[in-house]
Amino acid sequence: MRASQINHVLDFVREAIKEASKWWWRFFDWVAVVEWRRLFLTWFVVLMCFGVLNTPEPAVWYIFISFAVKVLAGGKRKAELMARDATLQANVATLERRLMEARMVALQAQVEPHFLFNTLALIGQLIETDPPEAARVHAHLIDYLRSTLPQMRARDGGTLGKQVELSRAYLAIMQARMKERLGIKFEVPLFLHSAPFPPMMLQTLIENSIKHGLEPKIEGGTVSVRAQVVGSTLQVEVCDDGVGIDPHADDGIGLANIRERLQLLYGTQAELVIATPPGGGACATIRLPYKMMMEDA
Amino acid sequence: MITALIADDEAPMRDLLRARLQAVWPELHIVAEAANGVQAVELGEQHKPDIAFLDIRMPGLSGIEAARQLYCHSHIVFATAYDQYALDAFQQGALDYLLKPVTADRLATTCARLRTRLEARPGNPPETGAQDIGQQLAQLTALLENKGQSKPQTGYLRWIQAQVGASLRMVSTREVLFFQSDEKYTRVQTVTAEFLIRKTLKELLDELDPDEFWRIHRSTLVRVDAIAEVARDARGRQMLRLKNYAGPELEVSRNHSYLFQQM
Repeated sequence: MRASQINHVLDFVREAIKEASKWWWRFFDWVAVVEWRRLFLTWFVVLMCFGVLNTPEPAVWYIFISFAVKVLAGGKRKAELMARDATLQANVATLERRLMEARMVALQAQVEPHFLFNTLALIGQLIETDPPEAARVHAHLIDYLRSTLPQMRARDGGTLGKQVELSRAYLAIMQARMKERLGIKFEVPLFLHSAPFPPMMLQTLIENSIKHGLEPKIEGGTVSVRAQVVGSTLQVEVCDDGVGIDPHADDGIGLANIRERLQLLYGTQAELVIATPPGGGACATIRLPYKMMMEDA
Repeated sequence: MITALIADDEAPMRDLLRARLQAVWPELHIVAEAANGVQAVELGEQHKPDIAFLDIRMPGLSGIEAARQLYCHSHIVFATAYDQYALDAFQQGALDYLLKPVTADRLATTCARLRTRLEARPGNPPETGAQDIGQQLAQLTALLENKGQSKPQTGYLRWIQAQVGASLRMVSTREVLFFQSDEKYTRVQTVTAEFLIRKTLKELLDELDPDEFWRIHRSTLVRVDAIAEVARDARGRQMLRLKNYAGPELEVSRNHSYLFQQM
């Protein structure tokens, strides 16, 4: 009992000292950077106030201490504070650079050479056996590349509609290659096409579904993309009925990248949820805050 | 008659190869076509073709794994669109390979070589160098596994499976902030949510990557990357503050305080 009471008192004293020192250093910093002119002004105000109360002593102490701090330590402290500001700015610059790097990784993950070469090989083949199909795949590839590349330059991402369009081009190419092994289902209501949605996320999830879920499965399967609004949350879901997720397989750079970007863009208001439904396969869901729009007013 | 098998998971690619082969080598008899690695091995063992054209990336079994079961009685020719590691390996070794889309010139060269080899010992399996080929295939398999083209088997647990309603939520270990034992269950905390799982802390400790998660207390496992700072509280205990987490700080027990010694 006694020991715990002493502990409480000690805790309180420590807290008080901590708080006092915090305020002292805040005052110190202020004095260090404030202009002399303003400092004179505060001296005048303080003298007047305490003069009226007929107790000039605190005012004299204030003037003495702030004068001493300003003369003795002001220059050094000011330099320190400026240095800290510069470091902070440098940190922001580092963060921005890392964001750019993340974008570059995302870009590389999107147009991976294997995909490009296989598609070109397919087009080369179709030119001989099925020219109209070759033209279609060729057009899809152009759509895919055109919408993939400039999007990386856009600072704030596109809309859900844009992302769906881009994903359709990609899926059409994959379907030309995998034929009946790949089924596709889109359930994205029209009114959500204009909802803002960060670029490259839907894409990455669909690619993961095909690469890890359906391609390794001999009979293939279906990718379904569904978007809906639940309360004030936009929920975009990519599901497949593929081989599912091996608990020992690395989750890869793609998902980590989505998670990091959601965190940067929306903080804790957004999340990426991976689940395996009872029927098998895998489901990835992105949830973001959704704001009702004034219907293009 | 010389026989061949074609294996590729993409139908258009099989069509192309068949058409090209018929053009440059009309006498070649294509006995079977497979759409995946498993089928390739079945059909290969059934027909024992002289030549097997195998795509490298196929579902079920990769072309290289299939080749390891077929090379004893068939000449192997790999086909690939882009596989830099495999290509490096092929260029150093004696294995035949084709780049997709297969050009007539390239195919003609390969076929001419195959023909002279087969005519030198008609009907015989390619016993000379078979051992070399077996070794090379084993090396290739190992190489491709290392490059992450097949599933990397690090052995550590990467996904935590937590029952949420009817479905199984897959929580990447990179999302987890910490695990805390809570009577019968273990609590899994992420930035946005918490789950209960039945695995005990002891089991997790054995299965997780020890460089990724540290035990800081009898009842706590923390992900090292999630730690923001370590500070001493008023009573001198070491407390961990975590990134992006507003919940209570985590206590480091005395037994584990050596983890956070100053350098």
